[in-house]
Amino acid sequence: MAHSNSCVHLTYSSVRLFWEITKRSLQRHLTYRTATITGLITNLFFGLLRASVLLALLSGSSSANGWNAQDIVTYVALTQALMVVVSVFGWSDLMNTVYRGEIAAELLRPTSLFLFWLAQDIGRSLTALVTRGISIMLVCYFVFAIKVPSSFGQWLVVLLSLGLAMVISFAFRFIVNLAAFWSPDARGMARFAFIALGFASGFLMPLRFFPDWLQHVLALTPFPHMMNSIIEIYIGSSDARVIEILGLQVFWAVTLTGLAQLILARATRRLVILGG
Amino acid sequence: MIQVENLCKHFEIRHRHKNSWAVLRNFLKRDSSTLKAVDDISFSIQKGEMVGYLGPNGAGKSTTLKMLTGLLVPTSGRLEVNGFVPWQSRQKYVAQIGAVFGQRSSLWWDLPTIESLELLQHIYKIPTARFSSNLEMFKKLLDLDEFLQSPARSLSLGQRMRADLCAALMHDPAILFLDEPTIGLDVVAKQRIREFIQQINQDRGTTIILTTHDMADVQKLCTRAMMIDHGKLLFDGALSDLQNRFGGQRRLIVDFEEPPTQLKLANATIISQEALRITFAFARETRVAELISALTRDHAIRDLRVEEPEIEATIRAIYEGNLLSA
Ligand SMILES: Nc1ncnc2c1ncn2[C@@H]1O[C@H](COP(=O)(O)OP(=O)(O)O)[C@@H](O)[C@H]1O
Ligand SMILES: [Mg+2]
Repeated sequence: MAHSNSCVHLTYSSVRLFWEITKRSLQRHLTYRTATITGLITNLFFGLLRASVLLALLSGSSSANGWNAQDIVTYVALTQALMVVVSVFGWSDLMNTVYRGEIAAELLRPTSLFLFWLAQDIGRSLTALVTRGISIMLVCYFVFAIKVPSSFGQWLVVLLSLGLAMVISFAFRFIVNLAAFWSPDARGMARFAFIALGFASGFLMPLRFFPDWLQHVLALTPFPHMMNSIIEIYIGSSDARVIEILGLQVFWAVTLTGLAQLILARATRRLVILGG
Repeated sequence: MIQVENLCKHFEIRHRHKNSWAVLRNFLKRDSSTLKAVDDISFSIQKGEMVGYLGPNGAGKSTTLKMLTGLLVPTSGRLEVNGFVPWQSRQKYVAQIGAVFGQRSSLWWDLPTIESLELLQHIYKIPTARFSSNLEMFKKLLDLDEFLQSPARSLSLGQRMRADLCAALMHDPAILFLDEPTIGLDVVAKQRIREFIQQINQDRGTTIILTTHDMADVQKLCTRAMMIDHGKLLFDGALSDLQNRFGGQRRLIVDFEEPPTQLKLANATIISQEALRITFAFARETRVAELISALTRDHAIRDLRVEEPEIEATIRAIYEGNLLSA
């Protein structure tokens, strides 16, 4: 009895800690107001650009690879709204912390480095979601009449898929950043990995517009689950596969998290902390 | 509490060529040499001790402390702190220690300082009552109130150090590691930090190891000193021993009215002479009054003063003369 009690207490305090970190991260990111506003404007501008390019691809026909014009505009709105939420352009905060030696302070605390950074990243994602994400979707809804999920159930599934995408994307970025423990110039490698992320996640171009063989190859990687899956579920063009898609997302979230732990354990063994 | 045996940390230093073939040569042949940052060091520290770990810049102090706190894996040797091998069980181990590395902060840069401190309650799972009483106490001792609401990035160096000390102690660690806790601070700020450290050691029985290249830190705080240079432990013992063994001589500096002739003093030797100023060295036991009266009997003196041996000078002499390695 006492044992199960302490277990409950342990999980409660772990969740509480996670939330306290997320909260502070939110607090930090919400203070960058000018950055949010300029980001929002750039975001809308590029959205328009991308939408016109993609619509030109339709060139008169009413649909391309199963999507009509409204689907395409919805796709663009969603990717623009979510690109910061799931960091399609990459992220190198952890790497910089390693290079600057600040990682020492984190290793001196009795927390899991992975969870510590995940909690912070969720805070960052949530800030982007409530500031940029929602405003872009609202603007696009009123100006371009984009699609919206038709039922509460679909909203729920979309949010679930988004949550999983955040974890998958984070775990991938975390692993890429761990390269900093091995090489003093891991930045170049990371840049390459994040270009691959933008391409293979379906951010630059809907994956359903790719040749079949490429779609099959990408389906074996975690990338589509960081962005493309959410879109498919939101637009409702893959309704029959929702359970399968969510299942694959769970699989990749668990696999990449596990992999990150393994690599992290090796990384801290070879850690060299610079300075003072 | 702390046991260290034959501890070594070696760094591979890679040499990069800078000429036009550099890329190819760097690729084909990796020229490297080994830097022995910590070289075969052994010591042990008991519970409640306050130990000064001193040495000049680049001696290997920080490297030792990083191994003791589990941040670096030793190249070889044995290391046990509070029953743990630090780097093997990092999370469990660091819950029981506190550490401040003077040149960097553990606070959240852009959040009010209090937010960083309150997060610690959740990180270390500190009971609320204990957390509040510790915070109250440190607020008073370290005068934190004036800047608790300011973000860490806006704090002065001294304020930041006070906040970091507080952050390192909120969870009542058994051992506190301080790397250069007074670096860059003015005299008043240094003094305040020293008093605080002393109080923590006395009131809470916290074992404290602090590195420094400021002798005053060690003189004011520690009864035991360890001295390291080039990765080697040169001395480990009572501070007074160090002074008696290597810096026992005091100095008498005399300005004469005219060039002295037939100058001779029992119990003192001339160590330098420039124009009218002569410096004598004499043993600690010799009475200054006797020397002075002997001098004034035969010579016209304009001015004189006595210098105590400074621990700093002593240590410089040790470094320069390799007194200890002989
Ligand atoms: N990560 C590292 N890679 C290579 N050399 C290092 C590294 N860290 C420290 N050193 C070297 O090891 C020696 C000891 O450094 P350190 O322990 O920081 O000295 P201290 O703290 O006594 O000033 C110095 O010569 C320093 O340049
Ligand atoms: Mg140092």
